[in-house]
Amino acid sequence: MKLVILGKGGQGVIFFSRVIAQASINKGLSVCSTEIKGMAKKGGAVEIQMKIGEGMSGMIRRGTADMVVLLSRELLEYAKTFSENTFAFTDDEIQTARASVPMRYVNTFLLGVFVKKTKLFECQDFINILDEENKKSFIKGCDYVQS
Amino acid sequence: MPRLYLSGNEAIAYGLIQAGVRFITGYPGTPSSEIIPTFQKIIKNKGLKAFAEWSVNEKVAYEVAYGASLAEIKTAVTMKQVGLNVAMDPFMNSAYVGTNSAMVLVSVDDPGPHSSQTEQDSRFFAMAAKIPILDPSTVQEAYDFAKRAVELSRKYGIPVMLRSTTRVSHGRADVELKGNFVNEPLKAQFKILKDWDKKLWRYAATPRQRLMLHAALNEKIAEIERTNELRFFFKGDILIISSGAVFSYLYELIEEYGLQNKLTLAKVDMPYPLKKFDFSGYSRVIAIEESMPVLELQLCTEGRRNGIVPKQGELTPEVCEEILGRIGLIKRGKTITVPPLKRPSLCPGCAHRIALYAVKKVFGKKAIYAGDIGCYTLALNFGVTDTVLCMGASVSFGFGFKKAFQLAGTEQDVVSIIGDSTFFHTGISPLIDAVHYRVPFLTIILDNKTVAMTGNQKTLSDEVSSSGEPVTPIIIENVVKGIGINFVQTVDPYDFDVSVKVLKDAKKFLKERNEVAVIVFRHLCVNTKEGLSANPRYNVAVVKELCKGCKLCLTEFECPAIVFKEEDVKAEIDHTICVGCGCCVHICPTKAIRLI
Repeated sequence: MKLVILGKGGQGVIFFSRVIAQASINKGLSVCSTEIKGMAKKGGAVEIQMKIGEGMSGMIRRGTADMVVLLSRELLEYAKTFSENTFAFTDDEIQTARASVPMRYVNTFLLGVFVKKTKLFECQDFINILDEENKKSFIKGCDYVQS
Repeated sequence: MPRLYLSGNEAIAYGLIQAGVRFITGYPGTPSSEIIPTFQKIIKNKGLKAFAEWSVNEKVAYEVAYGASLAEIKTAVTMKQVGLNVAMDPFMNSAYVGTNSAMVLVSVDDPGPHSSQTEQDSRFFAMAAKIPILDPSTVQEAYDFAKRAVELSRKYGIPVMLRSTTRVSHGRADVELKGNFVNEPLKAQFKILKDWDKKLWRYAATPRQRLMLHAALNEKIAEIERTNELRFFFKGDILIISSGAVFSYLYELIEEYGLQNKLTLAKVDMPYPLKKFDFSGYSRVIAIEESMPVLELQLCTEGRRNGIVPKQGELTPEVCEEILGRIGLIKRGKTITVPPLKRPSLCPGCAHRIALYAVKKVFGKKAIYAGDIGCYTLALNFGVTDTVLCMGASVSFGFGFKKAFQLAGTEQDVVSIIGDSTFFHTGISPLIDAVHYRVPFLTIILDNKTVAMTGNQKTLSDEVSSSGEPVTPIIIENVVKGIGINFVQTVDPYDFDVSVKVLKDAKKFLKERNEVAVIVFRHLCVNTKEGLSANPRYNVAVVKELCKGCKLCLTEFECPAIVFKEEDVKAEIDHTICVGCGCCVHICPTKAIRLI
């Protein structure tokens, strides 16, 4: 699977991607990725290209990704250069995340929403590797989708 | 061993330590900066005895590590590709003298370039020095080759270059660690008196002895060349030879397009030294490599010289696809245009912004602002940087510009802008020249007590080393006064009115005394924990009635936390990113920005 994850500095994009990678590695899958984050703290974008269970390099050609996950919707046009299949969070999801967990756990709440909604991964694989606070937030995200 | 999800740079640190490296130096530079911090973390966690610290610049880093390697401690040194330019002198010479233990130079190239001044290929430099190169294609190989480089260096008594690139160093993958962390006692030895006469000639060689060392180097290289084999994949009529990250893109493309019967792909682990190979069985032989024709020139293949491979830019998977199209193997797909992303700005609350705004206010738009390498390069967005060449060049340019205008008899204000770490790196030497020749320009030293651009590494002004040892802080003002500068003022740029006054004093001094002046603007980087917690925190707001919508706060100051609302033609504070520094109150001509 070829996955691109896009966001802005401070949104926890890197952590978001690393949890996905670790959950996949624990399943016995290979993971390779490339991270562009140099200017993240100076208003630049954070971009992670990731291949799970395939490939030799993390680099994904434009137009060939299976999905683009957007943590920041202003990057939609840019996201579409990788794939028409984009996944963005709704306003409602983002507001609920902000209202129900501390700022630094918003990303794991949204990760829960993503995993539950797309069914690309199993929630339990994530619950197994997250620390207590992140786990709570992740489960809240999963439960939000169910409700 | 579990499989760890490591970056290429982290993998290199693991490989070096497991191969016995216990002494590592370097200078930070994207994309090489994470090797030393990872090294520091591992030795701390594993309780290993080692020296792992940043140096003042790459030349010093290289020489310090090389010295330790002569004392028979396995060493490594890390830098980005342009850093190697700075270390070129000891690098070239160390090939002749050779090593007594292992020494690995990790040089990380940046084809693109993503965050560098040039797209130079470190492999060319190693070839010029006659130093063997290992060129990993994947993160796993970055780990494997780090170990291999140490072994190769130890075996042949020659420094070895581990050449990485942005995509390998900043790539991440699950890596299988195959070795252990052995905590063996270190033994240093160099000058053993009973046979020192026989050894001395090598370390302090005369030109005639240099010739002998060169011959010995040629023998080592010939021996390594004989062992250097290529690895072949797939079976086709056309041979593509590759190394580094590009190999992995080509491998993937061949599988994806089903070209296994049309192409043979040869992988070069060691791009130098290469022996002659017999490629007569192939209809065409093409080298595809980053970022210069190192394989192509050694093996006399097609590639850049006949226009198949672009001569500039990164060979991304898309570009590799185009190359395969040019060879006639695949139909090229449609090109996708990528929309530009927002340009980076200095962080909200960054003291460089308000300092350089004050400089602009006093010296005006006509002054020449010679900039340097660091975050403050971003001041070119709001007109306080006119040149960026290389580390330390701001000060030399200040000298050059001012002298040129003096010579022509033309009035011209010249201001050099340099950060604390860059000043230590290569800013001091040109300032010595400027004092000696009495060149009246202003040097601004922006001191945020960290190497901010590359991830907040420690600087020479720290009092504790990375390993927690007490170290002697180097005081910028003492250095500057010590070389004979008579105008040295230190200001916290958050004190805007004081900044303006000191700048005016400096301007007057330059005119009256006709010699160089220095202002140190000191304020901690807000991108660090200590910096942010020590920063003032105000509630900043734009008074709508007073804002005339002139956009001065955006164009002349460019704080990302000030946004413009087109619908009511007024500026607004984005409180999600505003750190409340309050600096912007000094900017607004109608005093619409207020602290509340």
